[in-house]
Amino acid sequence: MDAKCNLITLKNITKFFPGTIANDHIDLTLVSGEVLALFGENGAGKTTLMSILYGLYQPDEGEIFIKGERVKIRSPHDAMEYGIGMIHQHFTLVPVHTVVENIILGTEKAYLKHLDIEKKVKKIKEIGKKYGLEVNPYTIIQQLPVGMQQRVEILKALYRNAQILIMDEPTSVLTSQEAEKLFNFIHDFKAKSHSVIFISHKLNEVMEIADRITVLRDGKIVGNVLRQEASDSQLTHMMIGRDIIIPKTNSSIHPKSEMLKIKNLTIMGDKQNKAIDDLSFTVREGEIFGIAGVSGNGQEELAQALCGLRKLKSGQVTLSDKDITNKDALSIIRQGVGYIPADRHKEGLVLDMSIEENLFLKDHSNPTFLHYGFLNQNKIQENARNLMRNFEIKAASSTSRVMTLSGGNQQKVAVAREVNVGSKLLVAVQPTRGLDLGAVDYVHKTLLKEKKEGKAILLISTELSEIMTLSDRIGVMYRGKLLKIVQRKDAKVDEIGLLMAGITEGKANEKN
Amino acid sequence: MKKIDNLINKKDGVIEQSLILQDNNTWLNFLPVFSVLFGLLMSGLMMLLLGHNPLTIYSNMLSYAFHDIYNIADIFAKATPLILTGLAFGFAFRASLFNIGAQGQFYIGAIMAVVCALKLGLLPSYLILVICFIMSLIGGSLWAAFIGYVKARFNANEFLVSMMLTYVAIAIMNFLLGGLLKEVKGEYPQTDVIPKSGWLPSLVPHTRLHWGFVVALLIALVAYIILWRTSLGYKIRMVGFNRDAARYAGINVEKIFVIVFFISGAFAGIAGFTEVNGMQHMLIEGFNPMIGAEGIGIAILGNAHPLGIVISALLFGALKVGGNLVVQTSRIPASIIGIMEGFVILSVILSYFIRDKLIVLRNKKKLVVQEEHRL
Repeated sequence: MDAKCNLITLKNITKFFPGTIANDHIDLTLVSGEVLALFGENGAGKTTLMSILYGLYQPDEGEIFIKGERVKIRSPHDAMEYGIGMIHQHFTLVPVHTVVENIILGTEKAYLKHLDIEKKVKKIKEIGKKYGLEVNPYTIIQQLPVGMQQRVEILKALYRNAQILIMDEPTSVLTSQEAEKLFNFIHDFKAKSHSVIFISHKLNEVMEIADRITVLRDGKIVGNVLRQEASDSQLTHMMIGRDIIIPKTNSSIHPKSEMLKIKNLTIMGDKQNKAIDDLSFTVREGEIFGIAGVSGNGQEELAQALCGLRKLKSGQVTLSDKDITNKDALSIIRQGVGYIPADRHKEGLVLDMSIEENLFLKDHSNPTFLHYGFLNQNKIQENARNLMRNFEIKAASSTSRVMTLSGGNQQKVAVAREVNVGSKLLVAVQPTRGLDLGAVDYVHKTLLKEKKEGKAILLISTELSEIMTLSDRIGVMYRGKLLKIVQRKDAKVDEIGLLMAGITEGKANEKN
Repeated sequence: MKKIDNLINKKDGVIEQSLILQDNNTWLNFLPVFSVLFGLLMSGLMMLLLGHNPLTIYSNMLSYAFHDIYNIADIFAKATPLILTGLAFGFAFRASLFNIGAQGQFYIGAIMAVVCALKLGLLPSYLILVICFIMSLIGGSLWAAFIGYVKARFNANEFLVSMMLTYVAIAIMNFLLGGLLKEVKGEYPQTDVIPKSGWLPSLVPHTRLHWGFVVALLIALVAYIILWRTSLGYKIRMVGFNRDAARYAGINVEKIFVIVFFISGAFAGIAGFTEVNGMQHMLIEGFNPMIGAEGIGIAILGNAHPLGIVISALLFGALKVGGNLVVQTSRIPASIIGIMEGFVILSVILSYFIRDKLIVLRNKKKLVVQEEHRL
């Protein structure tokens, strides 16, 4: 075994997606017999990078070398030829077929030759024994628990002689016992001088399994450390962004009446898991309450529930002493709740409509703008002119389609409308995602101004700097719970960073 | 910076193209005209293959279609139901819904109209017409509302449901024409001729053009007003453009599905009224079997806009009138009319596809420019 030669080298890999750079000049190496963790937030570009290595995407720039030789990987088929296998987050199995049928799918070249299932079964059993991945080859996939299905995925890669396994968030669907078994397998696999690339945003996992950790943020590599030299706080720093400059805020809190009260809220996610688990907090008038956390910890579900688009399983939501639990979206809007979404193109704007029509989006049933069901065009235009002036929306005319505006001006349209609609509460989810600095500043100023006018603002963001800059109180969300709620003046970046990774103080001390 | 240079160099050709687009956007509006001409050109090649001179055929078509007042009026008469089935598809299309079952809704409307006209022969003429109109409208709209309902309730595919319901409507019509509604003579699967009091009055004397054409124009106007002047139409268009944003704006999207299909079906049902009371004056098994499909093509050709649909329907009417006469007077097969319609619709669909590609390219170029500014 020629020890520690560079098995895979990625050079200068760049991938554009409409509007963003998913991977920005990434260099990466993998040596044989190591577990490399790709660590970073959701959307940092980890999966994109690995999809390029696996041939699912083609890089816009950059080169891939395998064992020193420059290669082009045009499809997963090519990748398998080079011994690369990928275990996707969402499995790629045929649920109504048996294990063996799934494993050999696509490996048989002949069309008319007799298919010797027994021979294949024997080989699968051998591989299973070798790696401790036993599974009955004749079971139908949909009868297997998720952990076993993942095992089949791994067997599928091993059957194709994979020496490099890419695992995309493999533990996200597993129980802790199953995860332990998976980690055992990874150790065995590594011991045979094979390699694993392990994609994760969970700090404890990464620290447990990886030999080397590469941190990605916003499509760039921000750090590359050996596990022995890495510390929890260093890694979270890298993941969230090292350059958090916290401006002084002059917000002294005058206790005011509670605008939004959330009591024992439980919300189910799409996979029938508890997305929000017995959550309670309040937001006062004239206060910005910031919820920090890595995305995917229940923030989206919470925001949807507050907008009336997701049913609550249990709990109570009151807005200035009015019960709005499980009210529909329209009545919540009428109660004065504005919502500034993260994905403005999907949830906040109708790009094919004019600025005028977009600013009117939530008033479609507001009698002020209607006359026996007919639209009062004058009122709509007047409303648009006022909002465009007050919020400095730059456009040729109020009838320009929103599609033609710059990203910053598009967000201004959404913000203007929601500030107008949300007379009591503003829910802002990642309100500055994808905006340039000027527009970010504009959105922040608007939120602070609305706070001064006495509105309650719930700011949900994965950008810690944003939370620290704007909030009066900060809660850290992890797996559907608020781990801690602190006053802004008592908040420490390090502590919050660790909390975001699910490490409470007690645990952190244990580790050190 | 180098990266951006690369990008720009790589896509030089693209940028040039899209610059043309940006500076001179108006020609895109004439795209349907170009594509109609292209479709006729393709049909011309087909005629060549069949051994006919396309120039003679086309000039004959033109001169026949506009030969006399009777033929010109016939263009409008033929266009009448096409306007309505075109509106049926186009209206639903504005909500990003596919009602491809206008044929079935048309038949249900026609059954309602003929039953009312046959049973109410003694009433004053205007009353019969109003009742026939309303009943065909209700028949078509309830028939279609069912599609919207199953889509809203069970997330059923409206494409399939609307298509399959057409066969159900045909079966119902055939059943009725075989028994309850069969003519007194009992010879053919058709009804008796409806009493004269149930006929839509003629619009131009001594031609087949009837007041149904005016009804169709008014319905097109109604469709326009609903879509662009009312709160309901605003909600419908919002659902069509962005269902998620509509939900966030507090719109009950499922309710809109039902309403849209209700209105869409009403338009197709009224086509049954204009055909029975204005044109056929009876119900014949399997009459106008292509009217729903042609409506889809007309709506696409007219960009799902009521005015565009009216113009496209007139074009199809002219193709039919001119085409029928050419077929009768020369040896060219009758299917050439269908081929022409097919080629026109095909090239229009292609042109929209090409237009979308061009717009995407232009946006890509915009993105490159934005990147450039950022660096």
